[in-house]
Amino acid sequence: MINDKNSQKIVDILQNWARKHSLFVLAYGTGCGAIEIPPTMTSRYDAERFGIRGAATPRQADVLLITGYLTTKTLKRVIRVYEQMQDPKYVIGFGSCTINGGMYYDSYNTIKVLDKYLPVDVYINGCMPRPESVISGIVKLQSLIAEGKANGAAKYKENLDWYRANQKKIIPNWVMPEYNW
Amino acid sequence: MEKIKSNLIEAIKGTYPDAREQDHEGNRLDFYVKKQCVPSILNYIKGEGYIHLSHIAFVDWIEEGEFELIYIVWSPKDKIKIFIRARVDRENPLMPNIESIWRQANTYQREAREMYGIQFEGFEAPNEFVLEDWNEIPPMRRDFDTQAYAEETFFHRPGREDAMDVREAIIERSREEIPDFAKKYSR
Ligand code: SF4
Repeated sequence: MINDKNSQKIVDILQNWARKHSLFVLAYGTGCGAIEIPPTMTSRYDAERFGIRGAATPRQADVLLITGYLTTKTLKRVIRVYEQMQDPKYVIGFGSCTINGGMYYDSYNTIKVLDKYLPVDVYINGCMPRPESVISGIVKLQSLIAEGKANGAAKYKENLDWYRANQKKIIPNWVMPEYNW
Repeated sequence: MEKIKSNLIEAIKGTYPDAREQDHEGNRLDFYVKKQCVPSILNYIKGEGYIHLSHIAFVDWIEEGEFELIYIVWSPKDKIKIFIRARVDRENPLMPNIESIWRQANTYQREAREMYGIQFEGFEAPNEFVLEDWNEIPPMRRDFDTQAYAEETFFHRPGREDAMDVREAIIERSREEIPDFAKKYSR
């Protein structure tokens, strides 16, 4: 029954609807933007009314927020964190630094284009984005999930070699486990 | 305060005749000293109540072929900051180690070693400080071309080539002059 095409569709719709209303955001900040997360989550903006909550560890989280510039050193940790997260998982690039380097475009130690290293589902621009735009970005992610278009994780698995090659280009000393799903 | 300052200048110049002082307005006093005198001067002023090492700053005087180290020391009693400035050759930058006077110098010295390549006598600390797997020349040296390195190492998203230099507009509005050395960095 479940293999039947139409019923699979209904299951997908239900699943996406449920997923969209319970997003656990990993509490991990990389750049200056992380400072906008506490007001987003707490009484002033109260992101919890959209079903967004914080999670303490990667294995219990759905959303990885990259809150700004990523140094090559942090990128290593972020890749590990991302690979430890369980499906379904989504990445939000937060701030100009993740899009084109922002004001760190000529820095020797930060990556400029996040989507070459991790699959990004939604970008939020701004330096730094205010809680309103953070919420609107997450709401955008929810609508993508509902439409079944937030498939960054699948893209990552399919193109793992390409992502790995990019990652290894700037992390020469690769001492991390090689996951293969 | 003037009294305290002049006493200090007298005492330090008495012991180190080639130290040169520069008095600043307010609560700041600079000394230009030889690098081998640094530990003993720091020891002396620490005994005088300058117990807080606020910072060690580094300057790359590439034109003169020297690094400058600036030890900033503060006395909570006198409320005076003393800057001890010493220069070291850029080719062979070996400085005395002051870790035994202030433990926190360890952190600054590690930073100097990684970011400028300044070495300290008998200094033992883990090799990597902030950077990881760094194979180029120390990145804060002025002869390290950050932008060229970034362009060749990282991906760039096109679209910011036509970014404008906003300084022109700011200057017009505020009628300020750009100093010559800054013009070099205009886009
Ligand atoms: S986009 Fe702006 S606020 Fe965000 S990390 Fe970059 S510099 Fe900081």
